[in-house]
Amino acid sequence: MMSNKPDFNIIDHTADLGIKVRGADLKDLFEKAARSMIYIMIRGNPVGKTRRLKLSVTGEDLAGLMVRWLGEVLYLFEGENEVLTKVRVESISSTHLDSTLETVPYKPELHEILCEIKAVTYHQSEVKKKTTTGRPVSFLIYR
Amino acid sequence: MAITLKKLDPYRWLIPKTGSMRVPGLIFSNDELIKDVQEDQSLTQVANVATLPGIVGYSLAMPDIHRGYGFPIGGVAAFDLDEGIISPGGVGYDINCGCRLLTTRLRADEIRPMIKDLVSALFKNIPCGAGSTSNIHLSKKEEEQVAVQGAVWAVKKGFGSTEDLERIEDYGTMEGADPSLLSERAIKRGKDQLGTLGSGNHFLEIQVIDHIYDQETARTFNLSEGRITVFLHTGSRGFGHQICDDFLKQMSMSISDGKEQFVLPDRQLACAYLKSDQGRHYLAAMACAANYAWANRQVLMHWTEETFLKTLLISPKDLGMNLLYDVCHNIAKKEVHNVEGSKATLCVHRKGATRSLPPGHPLLSPIYRDSGQPVLIPGDMGTYSYVLAGAEGAMSQSFGSTCHGAGRVLSRTKALKKAKGRAINRELEDKGIYVLSRGKRTLKEEIPEAYKDISQIVDVVHKSGLANKVARLKSLGVIKG
Repeated sequence: MMSNKPDFNIIDHTADLGIKVRGADLKDLFEKAARSMIYIMIRGNPVGKTRRLKLSVTGEDLAGLMVRWLGEVLYLFEGENEVLTKVRVESISSTHLDSTLETVPYKPELHEILCEIKAVTYHQSEVKKKTTTGRPVSFLIYR
Repeated sequence: MAITLKKLDPYRWLIPKTGSMRVPGLIFSNDELIKDVQEDQSLTQVANVATLPGIVGYSLAMPDIHRGYGFPIGGVAAFDLDEGIISPGGVGYDINCGCRLLTTRLRADEIRPMIKDLVSALFKNIPCGAGSTSNIHLSKKEEEQVAVQGAVWAVKKGFGSTEDLERIEDYGTMEGADPSLLSERAIKRGKDQLGTLGSGNHFLEIQVIDHIYDQETARTFNLSEGRITVFLHTGSRGFGHQICDDFLKQMSMSISDGKEQFVLPDRQLACAYLKSDQGRHYLAAMACAANYAWANRQVLMHWTEETFLKTLLISPKDLGMNLLYDVCHNIAKKEVHNVEGSKATLCVHRKGATRSLPPGHPLLSPIYRDSGQPVLIPGDMGTYSYVLAGAEGAMSQSFGSTCHGAGRVLSRTKALKKAKGRAINRELEDKGIYVLSRGKRTLKEEIPEAYKDISQIVDVVHKSGLANKVARLKSLGVIKG
């Protein structure tokens, strides 16, 4: 759960929700994307027993890796009732990443769900290097 | 891709077959509605679907078409069983999202003074909102029974009666479900969500029948002006989302690994041949979610009836709450259709589209054999919903399909901007509609202006012969997630 707004833009979509995130490098980009999705979904205090976990994800390419990565972060909430509080991408290639995450248990009395995200989709998913210093990404999240 | 549209008549537009399209596109619309469609990317999505292997006839879109992810919402596409594909994106994440309409003996003038009590009681008794769970906690074995039996499981457990099953599409059970194909994640997400409404555009609404278009069919459907109905809209919850996600990943990986050779204009169209193991496995897993959704709506209907009885302190006979029908609008099904004069079994994808079977169709239960299938079309909170009856034109033009709702015209971001500073619940209350919602933003995202004009959409399907208007329902009270 992220109290400070990460740097992202909402992409307008009739039925769903898309975001565009920029990062200094791939690690930064993937961390920011996870923080942005959680920021859109949930607010509250990071109270409760912190759980630390290692998460490795594999995708068919960078865009596929982003879809899988965000899907795993989403599942932590939807399937495990855990809210992401910290994220660190330890290593990343075009098809694989290793990360360390911290989560707290979801408690309805402490956490407010702002937006239910049902799935992260491949639709309009894209990761590309735009400048020498920034990598923008746009992808769509289904609501 | 620039899309060429050719107007065929006042209600039909053609996208001619070009490039890698295997069939043309056909959109049911009118001069007003087609303008919005041309402004989003949904026509490109119709053309993209037309490129998929084994597609038969046309890539179709109903008048409530809007941009989806991969397939457009409001899209219908039928595929040959030998040459064709099945695509989880052509069904959607919320597998068997659908509607159920309950009729009652209550009159609006009896209910209006009690509407706040009723809506408050429903809000308390029907779990709703993001992440909501119910007091039903399924063991793995029970969840597998739900996945195989659907509404039949719920009836066996005392939720409703066997008579209800006659009034559910496919009698509330899709055959071929195989829970051994489900991931542990799907099982986990499904165990506490049976008997929940969800969030977003899902709702439970108390309505009054305010206009009858077809008296004879309305009598068969037990609909008369001034009577109260209850409309339910929900689906297979996280269970279905996980199944869609699991199979999209598998199919996408098979394509990127080169195990399957598909040239897809959009990765969200990931698919498998119907005759392949992956295709058959998806269909069998999808059937599990379809059954979960029918059980879900059956449970919610039972709790709705209990809430009415306890709040109004009347007998079940005086309440007279009965199921009119339950339809799904996110599904893929093997059905028999006429193709160039011959009968053929096809896999029909309906993503945001409703089945519309005409009188005499063999899949209809005897109750509706003479009238045609009840077609339930929800509108937005501030306007109307409609009951229609399936028509022969649907069989000849749209693989037995019609529209599914109003269809969004504003993005959620634009809706929030438009609703900024407004007390939406007070605006609705001024119109005689009492609304309670769990999420703070839900009401603003779901403002009436966010949707197309439902009356125009229903008018198009009526005049195109896809379904016939029977009755119009006006909202009195709503609960939303």
